[in-house]
Amino acid sequence: MIVAEQKPVEQIRQVIAPYERVLLLGCGTCVTVCGAGGEHEVSFLHSALQVAQARSGDGIHKFLEYTVKRQCDFEFLDLLTDKVKEVDAILSLGCGIGVQVIAERFPDIPVLPGVNTSFMGMAKEWGVWDERCAACGDCRLADTAGICPITRCTKGILNGPCAGTKNGKCEANKDMDCAWILIYKRLERLQQLEKMRRYYPPRNFRVIPRPRRIVKKADIKLGENNG
Amino acid sequence: MDNYQSNRMKEASYGHSIIPPCQAACPLHMEIGEYVDLVAQGKVMEALQVIRDGNPFPSICAYVCTHPCEDACRRSQVDEPIAIRALKRFAVEFGGDRMIELEAETTQSEKVAVVGSGPAGLACAYYLRKLGYPVTIFEAYSEPGGMLRVGIPQYRLPREVVDTEVQRLTHMGVEIKTNTRVVSLDLLFDMGYKAIFITVGAHQSLRMGIEGEDSPGVIDGATFLREVNLGLKPSLGERVGVVGGGNVAIDAARAAVRLGAHKVSILYRRSREEMPASPTEIEQALEEGIETMFLVAPIRVKRENGHLNVTCVRMELGEPDADGRRRPIPIKGSEFNTEFDTLITAIGQAPHLSEDFRLRIGRGSTIQVDPITLTTNRAGVFAGGDAVTGPATVTQALASGRQAAFRIDDYLQHRYPLADTGEKKSSLGELSPKTIEMIRKLERLEPPLLPPEARVNEFTTVELIYDWQSAVNEARRCLRCGMGAEILFQDKCATCLTCLRVCPYHVPYIDDAGSIQIPAEQCQACGICVAECPAEAIVLRKPYDRRHIDEELEHALKSAAESKSKPLIIGFCCQYGLFGTGALASLWREGKAGIWIVPILCVAKLEEVHILRAFEMGAEGVFIAGCGEQCSRENTAFWVLQRVEKVRKVLAQIGLEPQRLQTFDPRFNRGRIAEADAAEALDNFTEQIGGLYLNSIIKQEVRT
Repeated sequence: MIVAEQKPVEQIRQVIAPYERVLLLGCGTCVTVCGAGGEHEVSFLHSALQVAQARSGDGIHKFLEYTVKRQCDFEFLDLLTDKVKEVDAILSLGCGIGVQVIAERFPDIPVLPGVNTSFMGMAKEWGVWDERCAACGDCRLADTAGICPITRCTKGILNGPCAGTKNGKCEANKDMDCAWILIYKRLERLQQLEKMRRYYPPRNFRVIPRPRRIVKKADIKLGENNG
Repeated sequence: MDNYQSNRMKEASYGHSIIPPCQAACPLHMEIGEYVDLVAQGKVMEALQVIRDGNPFPSICAYVCTHPCEDACRRSQVDEPIAIRALKRFAVEFGGDRMIELEAETTQSEKVAVVGSGPAGLACAYYLRKLGYPVTIFEAYSEPGGMLRVGIPQYRLPREVVDTEVQRLTHMGVEIKTNTRVVSLDLLFDMGYKAIFITVGAHQSLRMGIEGEDSPGVIDGATFLREVNLGLKPSLGERVGVVGGGNVAIDAARAAVRLGAHKVSILYRRSREEMPASPTEIEQALEEGIETMFLVAPIRVKRENGHLNVTCVRMELGEPDADGRRRPIPIKGSEFNTEFDTLITAIGQAPHLSEDFRLRIGRGSTIQVDPITLTTNRAGVFAGGDAVTGPATVTQALASGRQAAFRIDDYLQHRYPLADTGEKKSSLGELSPKTIEMIRKLERLEPPLLPPEARVNEFTTVELIYDWQSAVNEARRCLRCGMGAEILFQDKCATCLTCLRVCPYHVPYIDDAGSIQIPAEQCQACGICVAECPAEAIVLRKPYDRRHIDEELEHALKSAAESKSKPLIIGFCCQYGLFGTGALASLWREGKAGIWIVPILCVAKLEEVHILRAFEMGAEGVFIAGCGEQCSRENTAFWVLQRVEKVRKVLAQIGLEPQRLQTFDPRFNRGRIAEADAAEALDNFTEQIGGLYLNSIIKQEVRT
């Protein structure tokens, strides 16, 4: 799941400053789950902006709130067709994908980000989220006992641990587990310690052209002798 | 563009449909959960209103109800049931029930006769009168009230209580003819009554069928109690034996003690477990020095030298019989003799009906009726109460009287009666062990009793009334069965598992389909998940839904806007207990005019937006006060502080000092603010906010 964090209110106030009528648009999927941009946070931000406006005496914004099921699909955004006509800008509390899909779907209206899209991760417990995947496109988790060194090792090294490990913690942050010690312990538990002996060549960053695209559908041209 | 989503939430129905077990068990199906909750908030008059809506004579039930609701109470799975009857008594006494006067207008022309002025008859007359019928009650004895007057001793139900209710009925226009025994129903019809309700009770004691039963010195329980209750003082001698194990036997024994008998023994043919009398009554009887002889039955009575020589046989318990109690079997050769001056027999009672009524009689001399319409074999004649059921409880009689009133109305208005059997079932099952484990154990608080020494000499009421604090705390133990949170908008649920993680009682779970379920029978209605749900998919039903807070806040802000006192401070205070909206709010009433209190049904239900709304509407400071004392909920302080931190962070971002938001509660501040220091803390806060307010004004002046 994508994890995001709401931007500070003063930043949001700056970006919306030029627009009078602003649609605060939540997303009902990842950012709801990570408590950054679901319906609850939309109404919280709405209240916070109202307070800021009322207390500072500047700003004449009119806010509208709405939360769609998922901002990263055109079809869900179709529900907004009429609503966007009544606003001057959309403040999206969806992730960076949501913001861009809105921009693409509604070319005539400014769309502004209300959250910082942080990482792909999981809820460790209520109110705590951890990164788990870097979307490197070249998954090696089979060799590392299901623990990703790219995201969980500060250096992201493929052949660890480095000399900075101390009592199972990372030198960069003594509260953070050393990913390679975790990998070692789990391999030991799985009786696969031989995997530690292998050398993993560096990833070839050049083979990942951006932006990435996955095409699942076959390229079929009807009427061209394919049946 | 309208806010479709918030409209949807506003328009959704917030009424709840689950019947809590207490309400289902009550013969009158009173809104018990509701009035207990109101007592917990210290709203005694509102509680009394709810009680009065469901019960024609709450003051009577407050004394003598056998409280089947308490037997059904699910708190007994955690520790002990809520003392519902005693709480009702508290609400009745402190809510000013005595002061309430009722009026009724005659809008119907059909006269109705009620034969018998017991609880069923009085209730029937009450409801018929409210429906606008002219009603006459015929009572054979000199005083109205039936068993309330002649059956139940004064120490359990003071006569003034019955008098008050009867006076209220007379004030409503019910005509009561005492010393009038109805001998013929035809005569009543001839007198112009269009419908008759027969509720003559079960005043005839059953005979033991043993030798010497008619000797002088042997008296039946019903007659004995009637004589005592009508003011006679039968002479009993020193030693009194009471035969039977029901409430009448206990009443007779306790009355005998009060009449001066030195030694009173109860003879019961089964053991204490099988005694049908209420356990508290038995307990109180034992405290008063009454002796019990279990597994003993008299078989012969002989009067010798002015005493009764009673031959008894010992019993043993055999197989359970039809009603599930073990059948007593005499032990051969175990006969023994014992001496009494008086023997009171109280082994059961049955109705006694004049044959001229020409009513079909069923098992145990009771009147046969249709259970839904309460009609008898004669047109226009209805029957209810003990005369139909055999000896039962006051509350059952009231329910029967109410049912009769509505069915008589149907009959007189030529309406087809609804097929309502009056039965209600609760769909709530047992609490799960892991939920029980998390529910805070709180001792049941009982109202004080008169000490046994003081009771035995007179007929004054044994049970006293709760003090305010105990009543409120006892009511707060209620688990609010069936009022719980619910995922009302399943389509919005993102299955984020927040509810599952924040619930202190481990109630939400993931079902086989991967959806989250919040089973209503387990939920404790604390409201934490409702306030934390990031998708706003969960709601609480009335009166706990968030619109309640919205309304209270808007109300306070509106009143504040009209007032000139500055700076404006909004205090969100817990409505439960005596601290938040009690002690703390009263400090404010003593002249700190800028403070406005918003009552909250547990501060765990308070959301960040409510706090922000107060600031938006011009509050210079906001404080949150919990209930301050023993809270019956889990984790409330933690969640309040979480939300406070979140709001403070935002306040800082928009240039407002975070100290404008404070909490006053010993639990929130790790004991730093004791309840007694609340006044000082509030003073300091007010002063601080005053300073901030002044500063902001000066800054504004400088800017302009």
